[in-house]
Amino acid sequence: MNSYQVQIRRSSPGHSYVRSYHVTSAERMTVLDALFRIQAEQDSSLAFRCACRVGMCGTCAMSINRVPRLACKTRISALDSPVVTLAPLPNFPVIHDLVVSLEPFFEQWKRIRPALRGSPSDTLAIILPDPDISRKRDCITCGICYAACGVKASHADYLGPAAINRAFLRVHDPRDSARQQRLKILNDEWSGVWRCHTQFNCTALCPKKIDLTETIGRFKRTLLVS
Amino acid sequence: MKLLLRKYAGPFSGMLAHLIQRATGLLLLVYLFLHVRTIYALRGGPAAFDRAVAGFRSPLFKLLEIALLAVVILHALNGLRITLIDLGAKHAAQRRLFAWSLGAGALIFLAGAIPLFLSSVLGR
Repeated sequence: MNSYQVQIRRSSPGHSYVRSYHVTSAERMTVLDALFRIQAEQDSSLAFRCACRVGMCGTCAMSINRVPRLACKTRISALDSPVVTLAPLPNFPVIHDLVVSLEPFFEQWKRIRPALRGSPSDTLAIILPDPDISRKRDCITCGICYAACGVKASHADYLGPAAINRAFLRVHDPRDSARQQRLKILNDEWSGVWRCHTQFNCTALCPKKIDLTETIGRFKRTLLVS
Repeated sequence: MKLLLRKYAGPFSGMLAHLIQRATGLLLLVYLFLHVRTIYALRGGPAAFDRAVAGFRSPLFKLLEIALLAVVILHALNGLRITLIDLGAKHAAQRRLFAWSLGAGALIFLAGAIPLFLSSVLGR
């Protein structure tokens, strides 16, 4: 059993401060477990979000030791630090404590028209799994790529890696009929794929190991030759 | 520092490469202005130009020249790395590409910096 100091950035509208808690952690304890323990034993007013607790929903994404990660998949012992710093995800408006609004994320998501566009008969067709893009389907819309993106931090209009990945799945779906409309949105000089500076932060932090920078690179090459 | 190194030498090497590219780009821009300003002194004739370049003969400036070599190499090789990635080089290999560009850069730098240091700074 190790003792950790957990520093949490608490926020409420117009007010923000850091509060420290002490947690004794077992070997396999996750950051989410620690948050539940703090909430149950030390501070019931602490707000955070979670749902599945097994890394499938992406709800518990937060900044852990200044790196956006899923709280349920991050073991405290793996952080290799006696101090654990928790803060809401960067690049998102904070609602309360560790809870952020995903509205800007889904605003960009909606811009690329995420739903399949095609005739009903086409959409019912069975498509063969493509090993090249199957991993890209694993996105859980946790917002970690959006929070980690250095470009997103300075350009609010940028679509962001997750929305571009979604567009990639649609553009490479033979049943879809809105390919040109999506490519036009992605080709936008200020908000499209050209904004990406290949920092690889999204790829490095995606909890589902999706190579998002590669997706963006493929779009750049597609747009260049089309 | 230890934490920063662990963070940026590992999965965040892409971000480190981006920061290096930005910083070296800005330094080269400063150098370019200095270069153009010196060349501009030619308008005043040979004597004015000699006066403008006189300061560049000091050992300190020779050391800055060696630093300039490092900046040019870092910027060029990192630019090559980004071009390869944009052309479709295996994205999974970007960390290796970054390590290679640093290693090759170090070798090229030593090959250029040692003769420069011996001749310009030590005067051998």
